[in-house]
This record gives sequence, C-alpha cells and structure tokens, in this order.
Amino acid sequence: MSEKIITNTSAADSEPSKDKKHYRVTNWSIIKNYVHYTPEERKHYTYIFWRRVGGWIWPIFRGVLIFGLAFVILYPIMYMISASLRPQAEMQDPSVMWIPKNVRLQNFKDVWEAINYPDVLWNTIQLNIVASVLQVASCAITGYGFARFQFKGKKLLFALVLLQIIVPPQIIILPQFNLFRNFDIFGLLNAVTGSTVSFINTNFTMYIPAIFGNGIRGGLFIYLFRQFFRGLPKELEDAAYLDGCGPFKTFISVMVPNAASSFLTVFIFSIVWYWNDYFISSMFFTNSQTISLNILGLANTMSLKLTGLTGNAVDYMVWVEAGCLMAIAPILIMYIFLQKYFTEGIERAGLAN
Amino acid sequence: MSKNKKETSSENTPKVEEAVKTEEAVNAAEQAVQEAPVVKRSAHNTAAAAAFNAAGEDVDVRRQKGEKRERKIKTNKIPYERKKHLYGYGFIALWLIGSLWLFITPVITSLVYSLSDTTLMDKADALAAGYTSAGIRTEWNNFAHYIKAFAGDPDFPRQLVESIGEIIPQAFVIMIFSLFIAIMLNQKFRGRTLARAIFFLPVLIATGPIITVINGDMASQGISGATQFSALFKTDLVSELMEFVGIYNINPKFTEFIEDLTANILNLVWNSGIQILIFLSALQNIPPSAKEAANMEGATAWEFFWKITFPIISPMILANLVYTIIDAFVSTDNDVMTHVLKSSQLGEYGYSAAMAWIYFAIIGAILGIVVLIVNKFVFYENE
Repeated sequence: MSEKIITNTSAADSEPSKDKKHYRVTNWSIIKNYVHYTPEERKHYTYIFWRRVGGWIWPIFRGVLIFGLAFVILYPIMYMISASLRPQAEMQDPSVMWIPKNVRLQNFKDVWEAINYPDVLWNTIQLNIVASVLQVASCAITGYGFARFQFKGKKLLFALVLLQIIVPPQIIILPQFNLFRNFDIFGLLNAVTGSTVSFINTNFTMYIPAIFGNGIRGGLFIYLFRQFFRGLPKELEDAAYLDGCGPFKTFISVMVPNAASSFLTVFIFSIVWYWNDYFISSMFFTNSQTISLNILGLANTMSLKLTGLTGNAVDYMVWVEAGCLMAIAPILIMYIFLQKYFTEGIERAGLAN
Repeated sequence: MSKNKKETSSENTPKVEEAVKTEEAVNAAEQAVQEAPVVKRSAHNTAAAAAFNAAGEDVDVRRQKGEKRERKIKTNKIPYERKKHLYGYGFIALWLIGSLWLFITPVITSLVYSLSDTTLMDKADALAAGYTSAGIRTEWNNFAHYIKAFAGDPDFPRQLVESIGEIIPQAFVIMIFSLFIAIMLNQKFRGRTLARAIFFLPVLIATGPIITVINGDMASQGISGATQFSALFKTDLVSELMEFVGIYNINPKFTEFIEDLTANILNLVWNSGIQILIFLSALQNIPPSAKEAANMEGATAWEFFWKITFPIISPMILANLVYTIIDAFVSTDNDVMTHVLKSSQLGEYGYSAAMAWIYFAIIGAILGIVVLIVNKFVFYENE
C-alpha cells in the first residue's frame, strides 16, 4: 500500500504542474471508477476516500459533542446565576425557566451581611495566598532536591512522597488536630509556661504544614516539581557552578527564573485547592472563617437571620445559590485572567513527563 | 534500582582484587563508583573504593608524605560527591522534618488509635491520671475495632462493597471519556481556547463543596443529569436516540447501562477535569513529526491512535488511573468516608481510625492489582 502511494507521488513530483492537476481525483470519480481499479489501487483510493469523508464528518460530530458537553458543564453555573437573581417565590414557578421575572439583587446583599462576607473573604484570600506561597516554595525546593541530587535513601524518601499522595487526609487528620490542639515543641513549651498552645482556629494550622511541604496535596506538588526540574537541561546549572555559585544560589538565580511559568501554574492549582478545601479546614476551624465552610450551612444561617428559626433548606435556595456564586466568583475572576496558564501552560508544569 | 546498582558494584569488586595496582583496575573501580554513587560511601572498605581513593583522591597519599599544613587543608575539603549528597539532604530537609512530624507521626498515631480504646482527657483529668498535658489516651484492645467493623457494624461492610463496585468501573469510564475529550481538545479548530476554558471549569469548582450544593438544589427541583436534556427539549432524548440508531432494547442490560451512563453524564464530565488536563498535556508531547510520518505512510486515524498515541501516553494513562481511583475513594461524598467521618465526630476516634485503615488497606490492594495489570500495557521509552 505504501509503495503504491510513493510511486504515485513521485510520479506527480517529476512533472509538477501538469501531473499534480491530473493526480487530483475527486470522490465521485473514485466511486465511478472503483470497479476498474486493481486491488492495490482500490486499497489506496478507499483510504483517500474515507479520509476525505472523515475530514467532513468528524468536525461536525466534534462540534456537536463539544457543544453538548459544554452545555452540561455550564448548566449548573447558569442555574446558579439564574437562581441567585430571582425571588424565592419564583423557584417554584413553572413558567420561569431561566430568566427571572423580577431580578432581585437583595439576595446577594442578605448573604453578604449574614456571613460577614468582606471579613470572611479577606481571611480566605490571606490564608490562601500565604499558604500557597509557602507551599509552592517548600515543594519546589524539595522537588529540586529530588530531581538533581544523588543521596543515600533517595528512593525510599521518594516513596514517602508517593505515599503522601496516596494516603487520604482522613487518616492523619485526627492526630494532626491533636498536635495543633496541644501544640508543643518537644515538651519545651509545657515545661516553661506550664501549658501548651492551641492553634485551632488560627491560620497557623494551614501555614505550618505548608512551610514544611506537607500542606494540601503537598506530595503531588513535590512530584510535579521533581518532574519539571528533571526536564530542564543540566547545562543551565553547570554554567552557574563554573561561575562559583553554590547549589542554593544556583537554584534561586538560575532555576527559579527558568521555572517561572511552572511556578505560576502550580501556584494557581494550590490556590484553587486551598480555596475549595472543606474537609481539612472544617477540622481546624470551628468558627466558619473561610468561604467554603460557610457554604454548606448557608441555608441554616439564612433562615436564622431572616426568620430567627431553623427552617427547611429548600425554602432558602436562592440565597444559597447567591452564596455559591459569591464563593466561587473570586476564583472565576482569577481563572478568566489566568486561564491561559491552565489551557496552555500545564505542559510546562511537568505533568507531561 | 539501588539494589541493582549494589549488585553491579559487588560483581566488579572481585575483578579489582585480582589486580589492585594496575591502571585497568583503577579505571574499572572508578567506573563502578561512578555507576553507583549511592553506595560509594558504604563501600569504603571494599577494594574498589580503596583503589579509587588511592588513585583518584590524593588524601591518603598526602598523609604519607607528612606535609601537615597542606594535609589539613585537603582533608577539610569535602569531596564533591559527598558534598552533593549533603546538598541533596539540605534541599529536602525542610520537607523531611515536616513529614516526620506532620505525616509519619500522625500515621503511626492513627494506627495506634485504631488498635486501642481511646479516651479524650482534658487538662484536669490528665493531671489526675498522672500525665503532664491534655490529649487522647489509648489502651490496647486486641483488634476489637477491626472485629467490630466487620462483625458488629451493620453498614460498614455493605458500604465498602458498594463503593468499590461503583468506583472501579467508573474510573475506567472516566479514563476513556477524558482521553477522548483530550484528543478532541488537542485538535485544531475554531474556538478551541474557549472550549478548553469551559472543559477545565470543573477543575475549579468540582473540588469544592459548591458543586455538591448546586447538585443538591437541582436534584430537589427534579433536574439533574440527563433530565437536563429532557427538560430542555421536552423529550426523553436518550432513548429516542437509541431507537433511532436501532439499538434500543436489543439487550435490556445494555440499554440500562447506556441509560445509566447518560444519566450520569453530569457526574462524568464534572469528575474528569483534571484527567482531561493531564491527558492533554501528555498528548502535546507527541512530536508533530510522528503525525507527518504516519500521514506519509498512509496510516488511518485509528492506526495512528493505537500505534503512536497510545504507547506515548500510556505512562500517563497509568498515572491518571491511579489518581482517579484515589480521588474517588477519598472524596468526602463517598459513603464509607462519610461513615468514617461521622464516627470520628461522635468521638469514636479508635473505631473511625480502624475503619479508615481497613479502607486504606483495601484501596492499596486494589491499586496494587490495577497497577500490576495496567503496567503490562504501558510502554516506557527509556527501557
């Protein structure tokens, strides 16, 4: 089959202007002349025929499929926006499908006051950014150590990284809670001050693991950075070593600038995961100080605020949806500005290896 | 790997012993040491290392000459390889301390909890009982929690079987679906950036509690999954489509499967965001020249997929599968996980830890089997 094609194309190449025109066979003529072809030609022209037909059908099929799935993805978001803008009475109104009859922005205002949105938002942003910066820095350093240095027990320690990816936080959260509840440095604090420190409800419960590369999905980030640094050429560092830089200086002055886009990608992921984290923060924060913690109990909060009684969650749907929109809005805005780092930049983050 | 390296170096040592002083042996030893830098320090006593030290590094030679001042300078200098070891430890030190403190200790503690009766003591009780600080006290109880999980708990074994039965098939469906979507999003077409931006939206939202809330609200209004389409087009689209294609009710089980699948399409799409992202980045690693060569040779898209795309991305398929399975097992909407959490909130720390460990052991076993099977089909470029 391949031989046939090569002879055909080489024949076309020898007399370009005339033969190329001649070589162009329409689909119709393939069907028309099919009976006259030799078996080899049949194989060749069948291939060309189906390629052309596929070239027509596939984009249409793809377009329909992508449109349909995009609809499925956007549906909950459109639902959220639509529901948050209407009065509660219109939730049960069958004549209202998407566009509310009365646009009601009061929902947002109510939620804003009920959950003390500015404070919660500020605390969440602060927590997210500090924890993510610490986490990215410590994971990058660790990942670089695993990527470029040979040392005893490296395999074993890297297995520990993989274990950290696999072990669910549910297993270790309770002892960790205990650790932060009665925080002590080798019994020193207890000996000096007579009591231990409780970090529960402070952001340190998130910062401390992040500093040590053990924050939310820390293992995954170490793995990503290791893969990324392994992919960078060694010559970069050799030049710095020859100039007399030590490994730490080389890392900061040569590797970090080269890895800037990958740092940003991992940073965005880290922000998203900290932002969306519910489980770990629900253990460490008992007073709903992040946005995610406020969302699940929002119906209750709203009914207490509006009626003073615990009500039925279904009756407070519009406020809940408004709260969801307010919770996700900062992340969505970030995504709109930085989406190219998701859609184009991920291969530079080392996932690809 | 390190085992292999040790073997090669020990294979080389007898050779070296035969002719320690010839240059060849020194070269061989040097080679052995270079091949196995990890074992270099532990092999100081072997002939290979001795020969290497005698020839390659002048520390011992200088000592014999007795030039005290110069010797001191030379010995203070740490050899380059060992220095690299130290720097390696330096780079991972922060993480290592953190892991010992915040990961390994909790893991061991949780194992102890699972094997013990636990009581939560406040400061006064703890001092009365002779402890210095408040905390959870444990007492060994002969696997009582583990026995209870299987024999005494009415829900746990059933939830365990159900969640495994759900998650494993779903993981494979997610794999096929996300690979298909990734291949589509990797092709060139108008509006690709927009399509990608939409398909990655679940990554932002699905990891948080928001999607649970929205889904709950939609379900309470009777609109979720495939019914969305029905609500939109006022018809049962899926069965009509199947009737149109002529596959409706060929086999009741098949029909049921298709209907389940389409009913779960929302879950499927919303759970595949990260997998699509990973596959897409793997697909971008396929060199364009491979595509050109395949076109020249007249390969069909089908052949191209199985002979080029699939082998190149197969390591990522494995990684993705492992990620998917873990993610589904530890997600908080999982029945078993909810059960574990509930009992820990009730103060049954030991019992919840025991359930978590049983669950984790089973996940580990399943992952091991899956990795062993799938690994047979994975193509590694470097081997």
